[in-house]
Amino acid sequence: MRIRWAILFFPVVSVVAISLLVMGHAAKAAPPPQAAPTAVMPTPPKATKTMTPAAAAGAVSIPDTVIAVNSDKPMSERVVHYEIEAKYDAVKHTIDANEVLTYHNVTGQALDHFPFHLYQNAFQPKATWVREAKLTGNRDTSYAKWEDKEFGSEEIKSFEVVGQGDLTQQLQFVQPDDGNRDDKTVVDVHLPKPIAPGAYVQFKIAFHDQMPETQARSGWKRDFVLGGQWFPKVGVWWHGAWNCHQYHATTEFFADFGVYDVKLTVPDYEVVGASGVRVGEVHNSDKTQTLTYHGDDIHDFAWTASPRYKVKESTYQSQMGPIQLRFLMQPAHWDQADRHEKITRETLDRFEKWYGPYPYKSLTVVDPEPGSASGGMEYPTFITGDSSWFAPEGIHLIELVVEHEFGHQYWYGMVATNEFEDAWMDEGINSYTEVKVLDSILGEDTSVLNYAGMTAGERELQRGTYIGVADLDAMSEKAYDFVDFNSYGGITYGKTASVLLTLEGIIGKDVMAQAMHTYFMKYRFTHPTKEDFLKTIEEVSGKDLRWYFNQAVYGTQVMDYGIFRVDSFPVNWYEDDKKGGKKDAKNTVYRSTVWLHRRGDFVMPVEVEIKFDNGDAVREHWNGVDRWTKFGYEKKAKLVSAELDPDHKIHIDRNNFNNSYVVESSASATRKLSNYWVFITQWLSQVVAWWGA
Amino acid sequence: MSDGKGLLRRGVGMVAGNKRYILWFWLLNLTLAEFGVAAFRNQAHAILDNSLYSGRLLKGFDVTVFGEMLGKPEFGSTSAVMMPAIYVATLFFVATALFLPGVFQGYASNYRLSREDFFHACGRNLWRFVRLLIVSGVVMGIVAGILFGIRAGLVKAADASTSELLPVQVGMAMTALIVVIMSILRSVFDLAEVDVVLSDQGAVRRSIGAGFRHGFRSIFRLTGSYLVIWVVASLVMVAGLWVWNKMVPPASVLGAFVVGQLTLIITLAARFWQRGVAVAYWQDKMVAPVVRPVMPITPAPAVPVVFEPPLPSGPAAT
Repeated sequence: MRIRWAILFFPVVSVVAISLLVMGHAAKAAPPPQAAPTAVMPTPPKATKTMTPAAAAGAVSIPDTVIAVNSDKPMSERVVHYEIEAKYDAVKHTIDANEVLTYHNVTGQALDHFPFHLYQNAFQPKATWVREAKLTGNRDTSYAKWEDKEFGSEEIKSFEVVGQGDLTQQLQFVQPDDGNRDDKTVVDVHLPKPIAPGAYVQFKIAFHDQMPETQARSGWKRDFVLGGQWFPKVGVWWHGAWNCHQYHATTEFFADFGVYDVKLTVPDYEVVGASGVRVGEVHNSDKTQTLTYHGDDIHDFAWTASPRYKVKESTYQSQMGPIQLRFLMQPAHWDQADRHEKITRETLDRFEKWYGPYPYKSLTVVDPEPGSASGGMEYPTFITGDSSWFAPEGIHLIELVVEHEFGHQYWYGMVATNEFEDAWMDEGINSYTEVKVLDSILGEDTSVLNYAGMTAGERELQRGTYIGVADLDAMSEKAYDFVDFNSYGGITYGKTASVLLTLEGIIGKDVMAQAMHTYFMKYRFTHPTKEDFLKTIEEVSGKDLRWYFNQAVYGTQVMDYGIFRVDSFPVNWYEDDKKGGKKDAKNTVYRSTVWLHRRGDFVMPVEVEIKFDNGDAVREHWNGVDRWTKFGYEKKAKLVSAELDPDHKIHIDRNNFNNSYVVESSASATRKLSNYWVFITQWLSQVVAWWGA
Repeated sequence: MSDGKGLLRRGVGMVAGNKRYILWFWLLNLTLAEFGVAAFRNQAHAILDNSLYSGRLLKGFDVTVFGEMLGKPEFGSTSAVMMPAIYVATLFFVATALFLPGVFQGYASNYRLSREDFFHACGRNLWRFVRLLIVSGVVMGIVAGILFGIRAGLVKAADASTSELLPVQVGMAMTALIVVIMSILRSVFDLAEVDVVLSDQGAVRRSIGAGFRHGFRSIFRLTGSYLVIWVVASLVMVAGLWVWNKMVPPASVLGAFVVGQLTLIITLAARFWQRGVAVAYWQDKMVAPVVRPVMPITPAPAVPVVFEPPLPSGPAAT
C-alpha cells in the first residue's frame, strides 16, 4: 500500500524536482559571483579630463587613419570623430561614459546649432517610439503591458563645447516629426558662436545610459547586452538642413561617416565584440577589462558582451585585403558556427563580385541571446544573426538573416541612405540583393525552405509580404509615415525587392546587375537620394523608366493582370450539330479567343502565351493600357491554355493564380491539399476522442 | 490473473476479434472529416483547378503559393476553413461516446455481438455515459488545466536561465509527466465506463469509485499498458508521416491518401486497444463474483461389498 501512495506522489515529486532544477539554473542567469563587487562602477571621470591629442594641441581635426580598412587612404569624407570611454555595469545595465565628438563643418555654411540623437530615451512609456509601437505595431514589442525593465534612458550629465564653455543648460529637447513633448530622443543645442564653414568644433559630453531589456535590438537580456544606439550622436546636415529625426517604431538611423575610437570597460569575464578592430586590451585590477576599438569610415558603433559567447575566428581574403571574421556564438548553437561562416563567406563572395569590394578589415557576426529581440540587426562591420537550438539545415533562417544583415554593410553601411526617410533604399534594395544572393547559393525555389517536402523561395516570400498591403503606402513614403508596421514591412522590404526583380525583366538582368554595381561604386561612402538610385538605373539602361518608377516607387498602384476568359469551339459548330455531334478531329477548325483583363490600376506591357493541342504556342504582346483586350485565332487545333507573363518576369502582380487559364481543369492540386486537410481533421478528431472518451 | 503483458495481449485480442468496430469508427472519422473539408475543397477548386500556378502545389509543396492561396479574398477567411475541423472533432467525440457501450459489450462477449445487442447496449447506457463524461471532463479538465499551468510557469521560470535548452527540456519533461498523469486518469475513467456497461451499473458514481480504486490499485499494470500503447501510436504516427514524406511522390494523391489513412487506422486501433485492456482488466479484477447455489451433500447409499474368492492358480481350466 505504501508503494502505491508513493506512486501517487510521483507526479508531485516530479513537479517539485523540475521546479528545483529550473530554479537552480535560473540562479545561474546572474553574473558570476566574483563579478559582483566590480560591477558597481565608480562615478565616471569628468568629461573635461578626456582630451584628444589634437584638441589638446589646439589643432583639432578628423584623423585620417586607415587602421580598420584595407585602404591606404580614407574612403569617405570624414565628418565626425567620436572618442568614447564607456563603462558598463553588468548588474544595473547602465553605461557611464565620456564622449568627445569632433565635427568638421563641411556644409559650406556657418552652423549655429547642432541636434543630437538620444535614442535610448525612446524606450519610455510616453515616447514616440513606444506610442507608435503600441498603436501600429512593431517587429519585437507589442507593449500589451508596460514593464519597468523595458525602460531605457540616455541622460546627458554635462555638455561642453570646446572654446564656448559648458552648455548643459542650453540643451533643449525638440520633436521635429510629431511634436510629442514627451519625446526626448532629439536634443538641440544653440552655440553662442557659430561654427564657420570648414572649421572644426569639439563637443565634450558626459552621459549615462540605462539600458532596457532588449528593445529594438538594443539592451540587455539575462547576462547578455547589445550596445546599439547608445551614445549621443549628432544629426546629418543634408540638403541644406539638419536631418535629425525622432526615433520612431519603424525607423532606423542616419549618420555621417567618420572615425570611432571607443574604450569599453566591462567585467573581465565578458566576451566582447564590437564594430571596427580591437586595438587595445587592458586587464584592470578591479576585475574589469578595458578594450579599445577603432573604426574608420563608419557611421555608427555597436558592441555586445556576454560571458557565454563561444568564439570562432577565421580570415577571408577580400578584393582589398584580408578580413578578420569573428563569430560570437551561443553555446547551444556552437554546431551552427560553420553554417554562419559558410553563408558569410559565400555572401561576401557574391557581393564583391557583383557590387564592389568590402574594404573593412573586420566583420563580427553575433549570434545573440535567444529571445532577446536582438536578432537580425546591422551596424557597421557588426551584424547580429538569428538562430535557435532547433535549426535543421533545410530551414534557411540562419542563412537568410546573416545574408540580409551582411548585405546592409553595403546598403546602409557604405551606401549610407537616410533610413528615416528612404527605408526602401536600405531595407528594400538589400532585400532585392538578398533574393539574388540566396537564389544563387540555395536555389531559386528553395532559398528559404527546403524541409520535409516543403519549399519556399526568397522572391515569392518577398512578394508574399507585399501583396497583402499592396495599396496602402508608396515605397517612397517616410519610414514613420506608413499606416502600420505590416505595411512598412511589406512595402519597404517586399515591394522594393519585387519591384526591382520586375525591373530586371524590363531592362534585362545583365543591365540591372551593371546598374547596381555602378550605383554602389558611385555612391559608396555617401548619402544618396531616391533619385540618385533611379537615375543611375536610367543612365545605365539608357531607358526612360519614369512610367515605371512613378507607379512602382512613388505610387500605390496595384498590378493585377489576369486571364478574363478563354473560349475555343469549332468554327462550323452548327454543322457538327447537324451531324449528330460527330467531328472530324484532325480537320476541325477551331475559333479560339483569349480575353485579358487589367484588374488593377498599375499599367504595364505584358506578354501572353497561348498554347494549342497540336503543340503550337503563340506569344502576344499587350501594352496593358485598356481595361481589357482579346486575341483570336482560327486554327485546326483547340486551345489548351493561356498564360500571362510566361517567363515570370513580373513579380508585383497581386494575383498569380489568375495569370493563367487551363481549358481542361485539373483537380489534382485541390485533391492533394484536401487530403492534407482531411488527414489533419481526422487526427484532430482522434486526439479529442483519445483523451475525451 | 494477467500481468501487464497479459493485459496487452488480451486487449489486442479483443481488438483483433472485433475489427469491424475499428472499420466503422474509421469510416465515421473519414466521413465526418470529408464533410468538414468541403468548404476548403470548394474554395480551392475555384482558385486552383484552372491555373498553371497550382502546379507548384502539386509537384511539391511551395509554402508561399499555399500562403498566397489562403490569403486571397476569394478563399474567404481561414476561420471558415478551420472551424469545420473543430466541429468535426466534436462530432466524432460525441459519436465515440455514443457507441462505446456497444464496443465494450462486444469486447466482453465471447460471441459475435449482434447489431441489435450493440445498439441496445448503446441506448441503455446513453445517459449513464453522459453523466460519466461530464464527471471525467470536469476532473480531467481541472487536472490538465493545473498541470499545463504548472508547465507554463516552470517554462517561464526556466526561461530566466542562461541555458537556452532548459526551458525546452523542462517543457518536454512536463509534457511527459502530463501524458503519464492523464493516462492514469484515462485508465480510471475507462474502467468506470467498462464497469457501467458490463455491470449494468445505474449508479455511475459507484463505477467511478471502482475505477479509481482499481486504477490506483493496479497503477503499474494499467498505466504501463496505456503508456505502451500511447508510445506505439505515437511511433506509428511518426513512421507514417516519414513514409508519406520520403516514399510517396509529391503528386501522388492516392499514395498520400493510402499512407495517411493506414496511419490513422492504426492510431485509431491503438485507442481501442487501450479500451480492450480496460475490458480485460475488468474481467480479471472487477467482475462481481458469481454466486452459485450450494448443492446439499447427501450421503451415498450403502452398497454391500462382496468379497469373491481368488481364482485358483494353475493351468486354466479349458
